[in-house]
Amino acid sequence: MTDLSHIRNFSIIAHIDHGKSTLADRLLEQCNAVEKREMEDQILDSMDLERERGITIKATAVQMDYCADDGETYDLNLIDTPGHVDFNYEVSRSLAACEGAVLVVDASQGVEAQTLANTFLAADSGLEVLPVINKIDLPSARPAEAKAEIEDILCIPAEDAPEISAKNGINIHAVLEMIVRGVPAPRGDRSAPLQALIFDSQYDSYRGVIVYARIKQGTVRPGMDIKMMATGAVYKVVEVGTMRPKGLTPRDALGAGEVGYITASIKTVSDTRVGDTITGVENPAAEPLPGYRPVQPMVYSGIYPADGARYQDLRDALEKLKLNDAAFVYEPESSIALGFGFRCGFLGLLHMEIIQERLEREYNLDLITTAPNVVYRVTKTNGQVIMVDNPLDYPDPMEIELAEEPYVRVNLMSPQEYVGNIMDLATNRRGIFKDMVYLDANRVELHYEMPLNEIIYDFFDALKSRTRGYGSLDYELIGYRPSKLVKLDILLNGDIVDALSFILFADNAYPRARKICEKLKENIPRAQFEIPIQAAIGGKIIARETIKAVRKDVLAKCYGGDITRKKKLLEKQKEGKKRMRTFGTVSVPSEAFMAVLKLDDD
Amino acid sequence: MPLFSKTQDKTPLGIYVHVPFCRSKCQYCDFYSLTAKDDKLMDGYLNAVVTHIREAGPQAPGYRVDTIYFGGGTPSFFGADGLATILAAIRRSFDVDYNAEITFEANPDSVSDGFLKRMKAEGFNRVSLGVQTDDDALLKKLGRPHDYAQAVAAVSRIRKAGFKNLSLDLMYGLPGQTLTAWKDTLERVLTLQPEHISCYGLKVEEGTPLYAYKDFCHLPSDDTQADMYLAAVDILRSKGFRQYEISNFARKGLYARHNMKYWTGGEYLGFGPNASSDFAGKRFTIVRDLQGYINGMKTGGEVLQEIDEIPLRERAGEYLMLRLRTSVGINREEYERKFLLPFDPIEAALEKDRSFGHAVKGEDGRWRLTPKGYLISNTLISDLMVIQDKSQQLKRFNT
Repeated sequence: MTDLSHIRNFSIIAHIDHGKSTLADRLLEQCNAVEKREMEDQILDSMDLERERGITIKATAVQMDYCADDGETYDLNLIDTPGHVDFNYEVSRSLAACEGAVLVVDASQGVEAQTLANTFLAADSGLEVLPVINKIDLPSARPAEAKAEIEDILCIPAEDAPEISAKNGINIHAVLEMIVRGVPAPRGDRSAPLQALIFDSQYDSYRGVIVYARIKQGTVRPGMDIKMMATGAVYKVVEVGTMRPKGLTPRDALGAGEVGYITASIKTVSDTRVGDTITGVENPAAEPLPGYRPVQPMVYSGIYPADGARYQDLRDALEKLKLNDAAFVYEPESSIALGFGFRCGFLGLLHMEIIQERLEREYNLDLITTAPNVVYRVTKTNGQVIMVDNPLDYPDPMEIELAEEPYVRVNLMSPQEYVGNIMDLATNRRGIFKDMVYLDANRVELHYEMPLNEIIYDFFDALKSRTRGYGSLDYELIGYRPSKLVKLDILLNGDIVDALSFILFADNAYPRARKICEKLKENIPRAQFEIPIQAAIGGKIIARETIKAVRKDVLAKCYGGDITRKKKLLEKQKEGKKRMRTFGTVSVPSEAFMAVLKLDDD
Repeated sequence: MPLFSKTQDKTPLGIYVHVPFCRSKCQYCDFYSLTAKDDKLMDGYLNAVVTHIREAGPQAPGYRVDTIYFGGGTPSFFGADGLATILAAIRRSFDVDYNAEITFEANPDSVSDGFLKRMKAEGFNRVSLGVQTDDDALLKKLGRPHDYAQAVAAVSRIRKAGFKNLSLDLMYGLPGQTLTAWKDTLERVLTLQPEHISCYGLKVEEGTPLYAYKDFCHLPSDDTQADMYLAAVDILRSKGFRQYEISNFARKGLYARHNMKYWTGGEYLGFGPNASSDFAGKRFTIVRDLQGYINGMKTGGEVLQEIDEIPLRERAGEYLMLRLRTSVGINREEYERKFLLPFDPIEAALEKDRSFGHAVKGEDGRWRLTPKGYLISNTLISDLMVIQDKSQQLKRFNT
């Protein structure tokens, strides 16, 4: 075990695109943790999706050895954190595993919304925040101003912040020295009862679940019986070790202050919840580490195979994804329109999109996803209280005594010039304004209380577009409040398409219904007969559009030379039709389901 | 005469010759043709085609040629000598039926009495004349090198030369054209008493000059074009023409036998740049490049740009796509025998089409599209192709 004084546990925080992952790569390289030729860009973002979107989805940790200027060798544990509001809880747990955070600020952009949000998160976890000015080789770099902003807005001394270029490897050494000197060494008693914080876990088909943990107190070694304090699950440790860049490296034991992995023939990640505390069965800790929160899916939606014959494939894929993602839940459901599929619960919209994309890419499935919804609480006239996560289960209005929807406290941060735009947006989304704080001359933070339902559709996109990307958002659940809710049904050619039904705030029903009808009209191809699209609440039609019958769709000329070309055209049309679902007499392309989700025009 | 006939025990074969020369390029045309009058190039073309024909003849021993079609371009612009040379080469290298239909395309500005007399003497027996419209202003706008009076004069010269089978090409959906104007055009052109009429809706193809100003030239709406089409079907029918394909109408028995091959799965060989063939189970197209074709024929190099072997599975799709363009239509016995696929699901869909007035089942048990059905034939046929693919999958699953 490494001596406490020679361990540094840190994470890197930054606004998107300020160079977090690139800096991580350079640190690994400098510590000779990876050979240059093995360097693949952004080693920590191992999922294709992460690299493409430039966001980190899963927390990862890696250990490197650094021989410092003082002649000593240190264990540096870098814990990378996800970077999206959907995963705020996961971020807070990753940060709780560290003593310090390297704050990367772009020398030409200065402090930005996420810089602020992430700094506060780190400071809340009691971390030492060490600023670094990145991209100093750009012509537009203004490091002095960036430093001044850090001091003024974040109140963090930045005078000695290293000025670096992660991309070109300039001054990386200074960052490593700063970590050694600036990040406090961990504390802890290695003979105390075991307390290990789980900050991530991953399923491996050979070893079972690999738990990533920070040992806060005590020591864990193979053969020991351990217990997950929140779930109560008990296991015998098979192996412990550290995450080296080239793979997992077994060790005899992990002691307080260290970051590493534990395997114990654990079959499901649901037993190893992020934030839970691992302790020993003999000599258990008196209480768990603070901050654990069981994951609660916030958003539900139906996922169906576009081709009904692939239901089994979808089920297998969901099972595999679930192995690695404790936050994701699903159960079978069936729809008259879509056949057999699954009701799935997610942390938020990004989480939902990620799962969807992974299903499509890694498992090669074509999916139809129904409109996401929150979980409503309904008190029936007979006194029974039910939680509704599926519009199909929404009771008849006559049976409803009280309907409630979840509210969240929303913190919005933005340069002050966009305050007007944000206020418009928040008001449109039923936001209740609480207060507004000037963080400095230019930056403000607004607080709202808002129904979660208003956020899950496209609020984040709308916010970004109204603040030219500078706005950032953070929210937490504050409970249920009574609301006027209705269930909106969509009828195609007179038949209700159950998969398009959803629950919404009554006052929004008319405009929303009109927009959905318009969107469907744009997305459903014309057929050889007229198709009415109607939106109804409890049998009363409140909006209508008509798709006119197609009158002309013909290849007038078709000679010998054209046959191949014209055949391709028809083949294309045929393939397009194959991707559609037929409801009664109407064919609906799967894009139509997604289109009705994106109702924000500007 | 039946629509498909086997001459004795030989397989019938069509021959298409692409003549890629025009006086001027029409604004809407995307066929391969050149407008420079270059004698050297024309000679090179002639030699290449003749060589090509000579090489191909021995490849088709079991075939008898019953249709020959010279298209373009403007074959009449290329001149009678050249066309006669090519036809003679075909007769030398292939077994040409004495009764073969031999067509050439012509424009009203390039059919002199002398030219026509010579063509008749060489054995050509069918003329397809590009009239397009009777509106001189429109003809000019479209870049046609003639006016309507020339078309009228051409028809009378063609008759005088002794041609008894004349087809006129017309277009509707032209810039600024109204439904009334189109009906008048059709009535006026019918006074020329052709045996055959083709009515093509203008399709603005990418890459043509017209494409650039398609949004400014007042093209009739889709609805108007649909009305124009249905009006044409009505008028022509009332004058005794039979509609035997989406865009083609003929007096009894005088349908274009060559073109019918394209739509009924007959075999044909194409010569000249960009000409296509469907022969011995393969479909292939010659390069869209005259110089490349000439060089290839000289040196024995490759002149094909595309060869597709068409498996039975695809032939089944083509059967629907092509047959349903014609009044031949499709039927259960043929479909199940040729492709070993069930006709029931296809028929169920056709029944639905019938309920909307888009298809009919004749007393002979064959399914055909109605004129309204032809208008949306892409929609209807692609629906059937989806259904067919499902049966294909089942078939694979079961075997």
